[in-house]
Amino acid sequence: MASHGVAKYNRAARTEEQRQQDLEKIEKYRQIEDSIRSQASAGTYDTALFQLTSKLLRLNPEYHTIWNVRRRCLISSLLSKSSTSNSSPDTMPTPHEDQSTSTTEQSASSTAADADSDADILRSELAFTVPLLVEFPKCYWLWGYRQWILEQAVLRLPTATATSIWEGELALDSKMLTKDRRNFHAWGYRRYLVARLETPELRGKSMVEDEFTYTTKMIRVDLSNFSAWHNRSRLIRRLLDERGADDKARAAFIEAELDQIREALNVGPEDQSLWYYHRYLILQLIHHSQESTIVPNLTVEERISYIEREIEDIKDLIEDYDDIKWVYEALLEYTLALGQLRQASQSTGGDDDRQNEELQTWLAKLRKLDPMQAGRWDDVEKELKSRRETT
Amino acid sequence: MSGIQELPDELQLATAQHVKYIQSLDTRKDEYDYWLTEHLRLNGLYWGLTSLYLLRHPDALPRDETIDFVLSCQHSNGGFGAAPGHDAHMLYTVSAVQILALVDALDELDKRGQGKAMVGKFIADLQNRETGTFSGDEWGEEDTRFLYGAFNALSLLGMMHLVDVDKAVNHIVACANFDGGYGVSPGAESHSGQIFTCVAALTIAGRKDLIDVDRLAGWLSERQVPSGGLNGRPEKKEDVCYSWWVLSSLAMIGRTHWIDREKLIGFILRSQDLEQGGISDRPGNMADVWHTIFGLAGLSLLGYPGLDAVDPVFCLPKTTMERVLGKAR
Repeated sequence: MASHGVAKYNRAARTEEQRQQDLEKIEKYRQIEDSIRSQASAGTYDTALFQLTSKLLRLNPEYHTIWNVRRRCLISSLLSKSSTSNSSPDTMPTPHEDQSTSTTEQSASSTAADADSDADILRSELAFTVPLLVEFPKCYWLWGYRQWILEQAVLRLPTATATSIWEGELALDSKMLTKDRRNFHAWGYRRYLVARLETPELRGKSMVEDEFTYTTKMIRVDLSNFSAWHNRSRLIRRLLDERGADDKARAAFIEAELDQIREALNVGPEDQSLWYYHRYLILQLIHHSQESTIVPNLTVEERISYIEREIEDIKDLIEDYDDIKWVYEALLEYTLALGQLRQASQSTGGDDDRQNEELQTWLAKLRKLDPMQAGRWDDVEKELKSRRETT
Repeated sequence: MSGIQELPDELQLATAQHVKYIQSLDTRKDEYDYWLTEHLRLNGLYWGLTSLYLLRHPDALPRDETIDFVLSCQHSNGGFGAAPGHDAHMLYTVSAVQILALVDALDELDKRGQGKAMVGKFIADLQNRETGTFSGDEWGEEDTRFLYGAFNALSLLGMMHLVDVDKAVNHIVACANFDGGYGVSPGAESHSGQIFTCVAALTIAGRKDLIDVDRLAGWLSERQVPSGGLNGRPEKKEDVCYSWWVLSSLAMIGRTHWIDREKLIGFILRSQDLEQGGISDRPGNMADVWHTIFGLAGLSLLGYPGLDAVDPVFCLPKTTMERVLGKAR
C-alpha cells in the first residue's frame, strides 16, 4: 500500500495460474489469521497461540496486532509469573526515566530457574526477529518489539545477564548500520540502547567515548554519512564535560574538528554532509547568547579569528572548485555571521565596500549554480540590501 | 503557474485514471498484497478519500459504507484499529477522525460509536505527562509522529484542552537540531517527515515563534534534487511523498518560493501511472495510494489547476477545515 522502489508492472497481466497461486497463499494466510483471532478472543494466550503468531509474523512482520498477541502470550504463559505485575505496558520505562523497580529485589523473589528460563525465552525472541529485521530493516513494529523484549530483560533478569543481552543488541545494531549506514531506525535504536546501558540498571557507566569513536569509524568508512556526523554533533558536549576539558582543551578540540573537516572538504567539496557538520562547528563559534556551545569561554576576538580563518580557507577552495554551490553558500552565511560578531564587539576589520562586493559576487554565483533556489537568493539579496541601508 | 500550459500532454493531471484507481483499491481481494496490507486499511481509506476530495470527486466512494467501516474499527476504549480485529493505535485513530471530519460525520461518534469523549480520552491518555510526548498505543513506542497525530485529531474534535500543550511544545523544542530541523525524539537526526510533524504541531499550538525559520527553510529547500523531486534527508533519493512533508513545512513557515515549484510539479506528474492511475514514489515505479495522496496534496499546495486547496497543517481540504474548526470553536 506504500511501496518504495518497486518497478511498475501490470496488475491485470496475471495468468490464471498465478491468480490461483495467489488465492492459495491468501487462504493459507487467512486460516492462520482466523485461528489467531478466535483463540485471542477466547483469551487463551498460550503456547499454541504463540506458535501461530510465529507463523503469521514470518509471512507479515508489519502486522502489529499479531506482535501484541505475541507479547500477551509471553506475559500470560511463557515468561515466569514472578514479575508479571511489573510488565504491564503502562510501566514500560523510557530511557530518560529513572526506574524505581529494583532488579535485585525481583531476582530474589523469583527463582534462579525462572530467570534462566526467562533469559532463554527473551534471547530466543530476539533471535526470532533477526532474520525479519534483516529483510525488513525499516519496519517500525519490529524495532518496537525488540525494544519491549529488552525492557523485559531489565525487569526479569539479573543485571549481568540483562546487560549481556543489551550489549549483544548493540553489536547487532552495528551490523545493521554496516548494511545500511543511514538507517534512521538503527541510529535511533543505537541512541536508545546506549542511554539505557548507561543507567545503573545495566552497565551504569558512560559510553560517550566509545560512541564518539564509533562515529569517527563510520565517518572514515564514508564521509557522506550525515547520520554519523549528526550523532557526533550530539555527543561532543557530553564528551568534553566528562573529560573535564578546560578552555584550552576545548579550543584544541574544535581546532582538530575544523582541521579534519577542512581536509575532507579539500577532497570532496560537493559533499553536503561535510558542509552541514562544518556549519555546526561554525555555530559553536558564533555562539548566539541563547544557545549553549562547546567552547563557551572563547573571547569574541578569538571567535572572529577562527571564523576569519575558515572563510579564508573556503575562499582558497574556489581556486580548485569554482562551480560548487556549497562553497558560496558557506561564504555568504559565515561572512554575514562574522559581520554580526564584529558589530557586537564593536571591532573593526574588513572593508565594508570590498565585503559587499564579495557578497554580491557570491550571490550571483549561487543564482547561477543553484537556480532552483532562486526565491531564496532573492530573499537573501533583500536582506543584504536592508542591512546596507541600516549600517 | 504560467508554466503549466507549456507542459506536454503526458504531463497533465490524469484525474479520471486516479479516481478509477482509488475506487479499485477495495476490489482487490484476490491479490495477496491486499491482505498483507490490512494493517493500513483505515489509513488507506483516509489517503484515498482525501485524494478524491482534492480531485473534486468526493462522491466516488459511498459515504454510508465509509462511515460504517470506520465505526466497525472502533474499540470500547474509544481508539480505532486498522480494520475490524486489529488493535487500537494512535495512527488509526487519527485516520478515523480525519475520515469522519472529511465526510462531515463526526457526530456519528456520539450517535453510533463510543462517543467523541472516549476518542479524545484514548488519545489524551497516550501523552507522557512527564515529557509531553505521545506513544502510539499501550505498548509504549514514542515518536513525534504520534504527538502530531494527537494534536491533529484533538483539534478536529475540539478537545485540545485534554492534553498538556506546553509540555508537548517543550518536547518538540528538545527535538530540534542545529540544522533547524527536527527528529523522532530528542537527539535524533533531522528528517523531513518528522519536520512536518513538529512544525505542524507547533502551528496547531500557536508556537511557530519557536522555529528557526531561515535555517529550517534553507535545509528544506536544499532537499530539492536536479530531477525536481525532494528527498527526506541529505544525500538520499528523491521521493514523491516528500513533496508533501517538505513542501507543507515550507508552506507553514511561508517559504515555498525557496524551491523550484514548476520543476517539482513536473516530477510529481511524471510519477503518475497514466494507464492504471495512481502516483508512485518516483517515475517508472509502482503506484500506491500513499504516494497518490501526497503527490496530489503537493500539487494542490503548488496551486495546480483542477485540484481543491489542501490545508498544509492537517492534510485535509481547506473547505473541510473551515467547516470543522468553525464548529469546534
